[in-house]
Amino acid sequence: MAGGYRQQPGASSGEVRKDGKRVAGKQKFPPPGSGGSRPTMAPRDLDSIPESVGGKEPQPAGSHIHDRYRTGTEVGKPRALVDSHAKVTGQAWYGDDVRLPNEIIGKILRSPHHYAKIKSIDTSKVEALPGVLAVATGADAPNTFGVLPVTKDEHAMAVEKVRHVGDLVACVAAVDEATAMEALNLFEIEWEVLDPVFDPRKGLEDQDEPIHWRGKYHVGTTNVQKRVFQEFGDRSLVDDPTASSHGKWRMEGVHHGFTEPHAVVAHWDPNGRLQLYTPQQVPHYAHRALSTVLEVPMHQINVIRTFVGGGFGGKSDPFPHEMCAAILSRKAGRPVRINFSREEVYWINRGRHPSYIEVKMTADEEARISGFDIDALIDGGGFASFGHVTSYYNGVLATAPYELGSFHYTGARVWTNKPASGAMRGHGAVNTRCAVEVGLDEMAEQMQVDPIDLRLANLLPPHSRTISGFRITSNGMREALERVRDGSDWDAKFRQMPLGKGIGIGCGFFISGSGLPIHWDPNRFPHATVHIQIDMDGGVTVHTGAADIGQGSTTAVAQVVSEVLALPIEMIHVRSHESDTSPVDLGSYSSRVTFMNANAAIRAALDIREKLLNAAWEMLGYHPDVLVLNDRRIYYKHDPAVGVSYLQALHKAQEDKGSLISSGAYRSPPMGGVHKGAAAGLAPAYSFSAYVAEVDVDVETGLVSCTNVWAAHDCGKALNPLAVEGQIIGSCHMGLGQVLSEKMVYGRTGHLQNPNLLEYKIPSVHEMPHVTPIIVESSDPEGPFGAKEAGEGPLLPILPAVVNAVYDAIGVRIRELPLTPDVVWKAISAKTKSLGGIDETELPSPRLEHSSLQATLVARGLEHKERDRRRQRSEDTSAYVNGVLFGFDPDRPLEDQVDGWKSAVEPVPEQLAELGLAGKAWLKKEQRQMGGDQ
Amino acid sequence: MMLMPPFNLHHPKTVEEACELAATFLANKESFDWVAGGTDLLPNYKWHINVKTHVISLANIPGLDTISMHEIGAMARLGALTTAENVHPLIASAASKIASSLIRNNATLGGNICLDTRCFWFNQSEDWRRSIDWCHKEDCGTGSDCRVIPNQNTLCVATYQGDLAPSLMALEGTIHIIGPNGPRSLPVDEFFQLDGITRNVLQEGEFVLKVTFPENVANRTGSYKKLRVRESWDFPEAGVASSWIPGDPSSLRVASTALESIPRSHQEEVDALGTAFSKEHIPQLSEAIMKSIKPVNNTALPPRYRKSMVRVLAKRSLREILGD
Repeated sequence: MAGGYRQQPGASSGEVRKDGKRVAGKQKFPPPGSGGSRPTMAPRDLDSIPESVGGKEPQPAGSHIHDRYRTGTEVGKPRALVDSHAKVTGQAWYGDDVRLPNEIIGKILRSPHHYAKIKSIDTSKVEALPGVLAVATGADAPNTFGVLPVTKDEHAMAVEKVRHVGDLVACVAAVDEATAMEALNLFEIEWEVLDPVFDPRKGLEDQDEPIHWRGKYHVGTTNVQKRVFQEFGDRSLVDDPTASSHGKWRMEGVHHGFTEPHAVVAHWDPNGRLQLYTPQQVPHYAHRALSTVLEVPMHQINVIRTFVGGGFGGKSDPFPHEMCAAILSRKAGRPVRINFSREEVYWINRGRHPSYIEVKMTADEEARISGFDIDALIDGGGFASFGHVTSYYNGVLATAPYELGSFHYTGARVWTNKPASGAMRGHGAVNTRCAVEVGLDEMAEQMQVDPIDLRLANLLPPHSRTISGFRITSNGMREALERVRDGSDWDAKFRQMPLGKGIGIGCGFFISGSGLPIHWDPNRFPHATVHIQIDMDGGVTVHTGAADIGQGSTTAVAQVVSEVLALPIEMIHVRSHESDTSPVDLGSYSSRVTFMNANAAIRAALDIREKLLNAAWEMLGYHPDVLVLNDRRIYYKHDPAVGVSYLQALHKAQEDKGSLISSGAYRSPPMGGVHKGAAAGLAPAYSFSAYVAEVDVDVETGLVSCTNVWAAHDCGKALNPLAVEGQIIGSCHMGLGQVLSEKMVYGRTGHLQNPNLLEYKIPSVHEMPHVTPIIVESSDPEGPFGAKEAGEGPLLPILPAVVNAVYDAIGVRIRELPLTPDVVWKAISAKTKSLGGIDETELPSPRLEHSSLQATLVARGLEHKERDRRRQRSEDTSAYVNGVLFGFDPDRPLEDQVDGWKSAVEPVPEQLAELGLAGKAWLKKEQRQMGGDQ
Repeated sequence: MMLMPPFNLHHPKTVEEACELAATFLANKESFDWVAGGTDLLPNYKWHINVKTHVISLANIPGLDTISMHEIGAMARLGALTTAENVHPLIASAASKIASSLIRNNATLGGNICLDTRCFWFNQSEDWRRSIDWCHKEDCGTGSDCRVIPNQNTLCVATYQGDLAPSLMALEGTIHIIGPNGPRSLPVDEFFQLDGITRNVLQEGEFVLKVTFPENVANRTGSYKKLRVRESWDFPEAGVASSWIPGDPSSLRVASTALESIPRSHQEEVDALGTAFSKEHIPQLSEAIMKSIKPVNNTALPPRYRKSMVRVLAKRSLREILGD
């Protein structure tokens, strides 16, 4: 590199004038780019480099395929999110911060009726109002859309009929908000009011006018949108149980309660392309839906994802108001902004389904779990949204982490005339998980064994298959249970505390990325793609479509690229806002982003790494195998003095090419069974968690306060421990809301009574317990550097942990969520009455006298601990499928070994009589079987 | 986003000027509201609930924010009540339980006393109320029925959820009112009247000036117990205040709030005890107070539960003043 950088070739440093004056075109100039803010290379951080590649980072769960790309730069270090400065200084631009020149304001006319046909809409008075620039109704956009291709049942605005109070009827754009609001009062609409359905149980019955019509697949003339039946295992095992639990649950609907109400700005640019600014979790689906509804090709639409002020699943559907803004803007020829009030946020909803869940569980004489029998009737509200998937998740996500003798699930989702339910953090898994974990607690009590030991002796090991065929890889469940047990001093507290004080356990299991993309063939196209571009200055621009909704996906991508290239994180610039510049990404749902997107980013970064190492090879003469990347420098392994700077290698690599560009993609491996619905719940990895919660119950008022939580979550590898802890604590808060105070109240007339944040009671800081986050690292073989999800799974265990703790405190099992004081008080009153009218303060506290089974369980738990360790560290690579605990041979199909082994997705006629609430949906035939629509 | 409907804001500098303004509006048959801290009125305005053409602010009238043991001005901020040294501890403790610290910094004693009654059929947006075809409290000229108790078109059962009223009653406060027809004063017990629409005895054009307390108020010990789901923000679902001069059973006062359309003094139930008050009387008195109230289903928690909790709150409040 003698001579350094020159403006023109051929000149040498000798031509610099001795008097210091410049020779035109001949002066030296410094290399472009600083290569970082520190002048010298930092020493290698051996504490952050795994043992397997010569570092000091302990790896109790074994080595990982990505270990050799670890440079000790970023992975595993607590980092503030890269967009945190923009957020704390108020410079992040959320949906409502977008201001375009000449913008006008859109407002939506909403249905005052629960269920009604629109006979006519007269907009003439609206159009005549001075200041109104555009008016649109359902007739302007007749094409349907929906987040799932199988259930496209939404319109931009009501076509033919409205399905709930608050459903979109028409919209108007005017010069200002006051004019737009005035205009809403001028629509003249003729309604034909229909009989609404609010109770999901009524939705199972035949109706004169079902809320939607599915043609030949419509179940009778009911409001059943989706029904699921699944049966696996040996049903004969549930006979003669040693312990059993039968619980009927009522869970209210809850809403995400994100901070930022929906807001959208649409603008047709001078070239006639649509620029749409929206806080979306899943910009790509919105992109597709916009194309369908507006009848404009996708390449003529640019979806710009603004900063998202919280999503939690509530901003993952394509929304009708996004279509409305685009339609109004097209008509008016000016940018249109639509902002929601909080009430409108509740009307668009997509929160957790109100559910009726029934769980029957049995355990055999060795305290093995011989059967789970789950029935889930979920209230979908007016539209399908993600409901097709939710219907499956309510059952199938309960098939782990325990080994089951048999599993039986009936689920049904019905339409009602209420705002649509959808996906919410912990999608579909939360309610049944709570029911199942409480059932385990009850069985443990019947058998007089410790509920933690009961769990420890029934866990599926790492590298195994669940009863429904899910492929479990890494599994940190056991460690999570052990660590919360120690952390909480469980053995000294459980069943030993005075009345009103309780402690409880709950576990969780969740997908780390939905294994099958919703919209395309997973065998051909990747789930996630990341592009990396590096120009002369050395800064690394990463293009990804992953939507950062506050969970830190941008930071995760920056971190892994920084780690692979050994560059400080401030040199990594992530661009993810525009569909014009981002590769397609499926969006932020099903906890897929870190797993899939970071994997894609690692692959793209590896490509760049190879190019840099090859350049260094050329310059140094040492093969890349003996070169080390560390902090903006590449050097010979055995003599760090022999090396080149990152910039020198970069510029060498750029010779004759210019910018370095690479692309990386991730596609999940093929997996899962072939039965109907086998794809639901498939994921390349699963997260596990265990929480212990401590509560105080005021026995006179029924007020429950959660005081302490020990929260262990297996996230594979914490890329950013600070972000993981944030997710755990945030999940606790959100889950506590559902278990203690949050509910969407539909009153006597079916109206949502509390569409505001005063009456929809999200816990305040006073209700927040002290949370001790515990990170368990099981090093997932396919995760980026071993990482799995940490965004949704941590929510699951807090619900059952609190419900079980309340039982420990007062000896009353409550199966109604949320545990508002009136619900708890009612249960306490019933108990005191049944005990002869004793005072609440004299309630007997439950106590535990270990039975002989306890020793069996402890012994089996210890034995399994060794089994799990060997499997985790690949010392034992034999096959393991659910059923081995019951004595089956994992290498032969279970159907061949057990007479009664079943794998069914439809009930046989003799089963129909004994099905639960949701199972009743199977009593009806589909239209095509009835000779109706064909 | 919610847009504030337009109104004319007036800032009188003296009480007299305020009364004159009110008199003018009355004479011209123009509607108006008083605003003190605005933490109740303005959110209601944003929901387009009973919006008036004029709003008269009391904020610029000096001298209305006095705080002392014997007198608290209508414009005294609730936040100041919680920190002032010379205010009765019962008032300070009740004020500290109201809403959140941010709201308390603006909210006032007068505003809390005159708090509009609340009901989940009523505290909703205009669109929402249109979807239930309005209600008796805000019928928009349709003569709508009450949605809480249908088929009666005479009474509004919206719930009064002010926190301070029962404490003011328990401390034997006197409320001072002024209006175009001059000043008047009456015991706080008599201030609240009738149903969820009338709420109190204020005539049109009148507003609350201050609350005063008897000479011996400092001798009183008091306790206010509030039922709510969250420790912040929430209005009371039930509240019981009690107070007495220790050792003097005849001085015992108990009052409740958030259970009916007006807060209630429970003097009848107290008097039924006779001339004694000790630990043994607590269950009987709490039971009697519980039986005397009839909550309806229009707040977050069900009425049966709220009613039962009155017994617990009364018991706890009475125990506390007995030093038990």
